[in-house]
Amino acid sequence: MALRTALANASSRLLNEHISGVVRAPLLNAQFVRHRKTKHWLPKWKQLRRLKVIPVKLPELGKKPSDLTEEEMRSRMKEQGLVPPRPWMEHQHFISSSGDIFEPYVPPEGDGKVSPISAQGAKQNLVFLEKKSRTMLAVRKIRQYDEDFDGPEFCKSATDIYIKMHECMAANDKETLINYITERAYPEVVHNIDNKTLRWKYLKDIELPRIVHARNTEVITPDNVFAQVTVRFHTQQTLAIYDRFGRLMHGSEILAKDVLEYVVFEKHLSNQYGLWRVHAKIIPTWLPPKDNTKLTYRKVFETVVDPNVVPHDDATDKTAEKTPN
Amino acid sequence: MTLRLIKDVMNISARLCQPLITQKLAFHNTPSVAAWEPNKTESGPTRWLENNKKIYPPQEPGEEPRPAFVCHQRENIKYSPKKMWYIACLVRGMSVDEAIKQLKFVTKKGAKDVREVIEEAKALAVQEHNVEFASNLWVAESFSGKGMVIKGLRRHARGRRGLIRYSYCHYFVRLEEGKPPKKYYASAPKEPHEMLEDWMTHMRRRKVFNSI
Repeated sequence: MALRTALANASSRLLNEHISGVVRAPLLNAQFVRHRKTKHWLPKWKQLRRLKVIPVKLPELGKKPSDLTEEEMRSRMKEQGLVPPRPWMEHQHFISSSGDIFEPYVPPEGDGKVSPISAQGAKQNLVFLEKKSRTMLAVRKIRQYDEDFDGPEFCKSATDIYIKMHECMAANDKETLINYITERAYPEVVHNIDNKTLRWKYLKDIELPRIVHARNTEVITPDNVFAQVTVRFHTQQTLAIYDRFGRLMHGSEILAKDVLEYVVFEKHLSNQYGLWRVHAKIIPTWLPPKDNTKLTYRKVFETVVDPNVVPHDDATDKTAEKTPN
Repeated sequence: MTLRLIKDVMNISARLCQPLITQKLAFHNTPSVAAWEPNKTESGPTRWLENNKKIYPPQEPGEEPRPAFVCHQRENIKYSPKKMWYIACLVRGMSVDEAIKQLKFVTKKGAKDVREVIEEAKALAVQEHNVEFASNLWVAESFSGKGMVIKGLRRHARGRRGLIRYSYCHYFVRLEEGKPPKKYYASAPKEPHEMLEDWMTHMRRRKVFNSI
């Protein structure tokens, strides 16, 4: 309304000037503004018009709780009569599996590629035999709880667990998966399989799986024993990963690949109903780095700000200039 | 007197099995987290985002790759769904970058929300839906939906009242991978050579009566 009156004044002024002969050029830059005709032109009624509407408090539905500042949140909760939430300092803790690999196995360099007859291969076998004593002790400990524990027999069941775990992964069957992997391994296994289709096939053993390492540990009390057994699998597998739209992302269904893996199995020995489950995979340090993803991605460059450089329009400079005056 | 009144009320409420007066200050059975969780009953549509969860069967090697798509939405925008419709129509069938560029010049309140939703969807496509190039997307679907309407009152002359509708709307978008089609609508005007073709086929198909 103010704009309208201002415009009216301006136009009347221009008209007067026009008549007086000051302005002769046509108004090329004038913009025509349409005003609604349903309101009274006099601004004195504006206040009364406003009073006609009964104010309603509208909820801010579009606003996300995460966007609110702490002060806004506080006032909002005060309005609703809510007590601020207690800071919960608790988190889930599973006692049916340990949280780590104890004394992890260090795979010999070039394993699976070095012939046992060569000098390096022979050396590796010797080192393996030297380190066997502690493994033997751990196996003896396992036998105290599990009398039928036998190396080759265990390897057969380990293969079975290994296959079932991968089949559950491919079928996205998270309920059954927990029977074959520990709670520690679960997030690692489940991570990144959402919205994907896996086609996994176990073809054959290149070498028979064998126990390379076994350890046991006591947690809190001496009766509470966990055992971990590392099994070396040298197998042939195929793997193809498809994205949500059925497009191939990685691998191939017809290309068989040799896979050498050190899989750690864990069992809670003190638990009568304990199961051998996959706990982790040992990734050797000598493994060459994997190829980058084939997808194009945007590389983010970090802007480096030198703290020593002072910008020209800094406030301190201005004060420095002012002080001599 | 007042005490008795309160007692009576309490008695009535006990009889009705539904407490009319509940103590609010000392007793919290709502989790305090609810203070900043959006109210589920007020939140809007749920089905649109379900499209993002559908997993398609793997394709054969020779098959043409299925274009990726991503659905995205924004609920409860304080804007009229009818006004939002015009903005939603504008961007249909455009490439994402073109849509974002055009929306920057639309002087309507809802254009800001639409642009933000499209930008979010574009980012989501790359992050979660295996889209390689963010610019290789087009707006396949874009529409608005009606949200909650809060009614307000306005005084009129002679003791009458008017209803003010404070409406909210939802905005939905589906971005698809690939180049945008030349014609988004099937009813788009035809090119001259297409019209000629149509005319020719029509002429040839016509039946000349009493002829051979």
